[in-house]
Amino acid sequence: MNIGCYLTGPFGQSQELYAVRNEAKRKRGSEEAVQEQIGKDTKRVIALQEDAGFDYIIDPQFSTYYLFQPLNEHVEGIRAGPQENYFNNNVFYWRPVITGPIRAQHGFTEKHLAKGLPDQKPAMAILPSPYTILALSVISGYQDKQEAVENIAELLKEEAEHLARKGFLRIQYDEPAIVHKQSLGSLTKEDMELLNRGMRICGTIAGATTALHTYFGDAGPIIKELVNLPVDAIGIDCTETSLDALLQHQFHEKELVLGLLDARNTYIDSSKVLADIARDVWKKTRPKHLWITPNTATEYRGFSHGIHIINTLGEIRRHIHVSDL
Amino acid sequence: MFPTYEVGSLPKLNTRIKLLRGQALDGQDHCELENLSKRYSPEVQAIRTIAHESEGRKLTPEERSKVIDANAHLNIRIQEMSGLDHVYDGEARRIEMYRNVARQIDGFSSLPELLRSRGPDSWEAATCISPPRLKSPDKLPITDEFAYVKTHAKKHIKVPIDDPYMIAVMSDNRYYTAALADRFRSNPRQWRYEAKRALTLALAEHVILPQVKAVVSQGADWIQLDIPAATIDIEHIPIVVEGVNAVVKNIDDVKFSLHMCYPRRVSLTEKSGYELLFPHVLSLDERIDHFSLELANGDQYEEDLRPFREHAGERKFEIGLGVLDITLERQEKNRMETPKEVRERILRAADALGDASLIFVAPDCGLRQLSLERCISLYEVMAEGANLARNG
Repeated sequence: MNIGCYLTGPFGQSQELYAVRNEAKRKRGSEEAVQEQIGKDTKRVIALQEDAGFDYIIDPQFSTYYLFQPLNEHVEGIRAGPQENYFNNNVFYWRPVITGPIRAQHGFTEKHLAKGLPDQKPAMAILPSPYTILALSVISGYQDKQEAVENIAELLKEEAEHLARKGFLRIQYDEPAIVHKQSLGSLTKEDMELLNRGMRICGTIAGATTALHTYFGDAGPIIKELVNLPVDAIGIDCTETSLDALLQHQFHEKELVLGLLDARNTYIDSSKVLADIARDVWKKTRPKHLWITPNTATEYRGFSHGIHIINTLGEIRRHIHVSDL
Repeated sequence: MFPTYEVGSLPKLNTRIKLLRGQALDGQDHCELENLSKRYSPEVQAIRTIAHESEGRKLTPEERSKVIDANAHLNIRIQEMSGLDHVYDGEARRIEMYRNVARQIDGFSSLPELLRSRGPDSWEAATCISPPRLKSPDKLPITDEFAYVKTHAKKHIKVPIDDPYMIAVMSDNRYYTAALADRFRSNPRQWRYEAKRALTLALAEHVILPQVKAVVSQGADWIQLDIPAATIDIEHIPIVVEGVNAVVKNIDDVKFSLHMCYPRRVSLTEKSGYELLFPHVLSLDERIDHFSLELANGDQYEEDLRPFREHAGERKFEIGLGVLDITLERQEKNRMETPKEVRERILRAADALGDASLIFVAPDCGLRQLSLERCISLYEVMAEGANLARNG
């Protein structure tokens, strides 16, 4: 079967997790209580993904506050800088300040990963892409951006291969910056070259497949370039990219990750409508494999909306029969 | 020259929180109330009296009201006695900026879980499920709030009110997304834009404008619309302008200002920070003549104010100059501006703008996250710094 489903980013916190976190923040509760709740919620979200028959299982990332946290905390040559909005969300991150050269022990992301993965499950790990790190960081330790992106990509490749050795079957590189820039009309040839340069280093790894997952921007005008990147799968945010633009392209040699469900809005089309769209995309773009996913992390609308997305993905999968394809 | 004001919120008194939760006060609480009462507001004694009478039981509605009144009175006096020229009540009656309005809206429903925003910090977002309308248009909380401030303030009043775009951008926009699905489905980015625009304009007309009209009819003559998120979605800044204009149109003889903070400094475009607002804000209704800006946190006054000077030929705006970094991180490091630093910031800004008469002096944002003791010190530093700047 060449169609499947999975989640693509952090899951929204439960009200119980909020409550114990808030108590710990105000020194009225303990960090142990927070960890206990994280353990329970992680187990539950992993089980929900398994029950829905997802092809890749992700860590809901309740222990991580933002995408760059493992880099800022565990990589030599990077520290946390000023706080900024994460794109157009009421969610904040701390900019990596890269003084370079950067070095890290293999497994620097593991402190932020749930204990129950991979554990024989078809697990997927999520890392930031080299270009997005470059675009959102304060860079001072390199002579030029090319050198910086190469050094970042080398670090990521080592980490990705380490995770593959640990049993992760897939590595997703999060790439919001390139399509966000495209949407804002500020994308340059240099940006595409930097994206290319980074992915040429970390796009292919031993022991796992890779996906470059774009979101928070319109990929339409650059799909052709994305398809030519040395990764196994390309993720497209369908809440930003028009289907008409997507349907102009063929994905024969690539897997297509269709970010079809809006994780930032509780309005979601019916699973039947979404299944019809997926079927149409399959027929017209002929990807090596079609994945149906939310456009981004489900954390932006909370735990319940995340569960709704898991259930909807499961229904979409049931609507699409192999004989349709 | 260089008048001073507070942007909005002050922390709630700990003793007030305890009493409203039905907790008893301890000796330290009584000591704090005694000091505040002697130094700023005898009204604070009411809290002690109620604490004594209630002895840890749940307060009656009348007692709750008296406690909150006392907190509001204290906040007004703290601002006035610290030397601020334009005051309010530190938003003593409001739960929190967004929730204060969201809870008044019929058509809004809270999401089941609080959403994480910054580290462990979370917030209660609401979903728009039907056209937003005020639940009680004839009994607006802001009416009593303003009446109390008007009765007790000795200095001029500036009323902070949420801006419609701010409410829209922080809300889950289910209703308008669904309503516009058939029309815009083929262009998802326009769909999102039009849905946000529709929500913003509905909030402007049916939720924010009635509140503005209510306080104006009571005599308010300076209203500050709060839009911390003005630059969060760079492509949607025209909606910010439309929303503001929809609120202020036809309201004459009132000064309107806009408070903005923490602009997108990493924008992935050639512009960043407050520069992103231009040229859009040149289309603001003429009634808007003032921006209150967070500036101390970045401490790059020349760069941040450059676009305002560059466009001064087309439109001049007064600037409420953020001279106090109000972040929690700075409090944790126990660092605070000195009056001399405030003076320097004011003079740097005057130089950058090329017109000192445009400058008002303010904190970067509301102070609700900080300790009350620190807030008082910050006000005093700000007033003294402004005085020093007036003397050159």
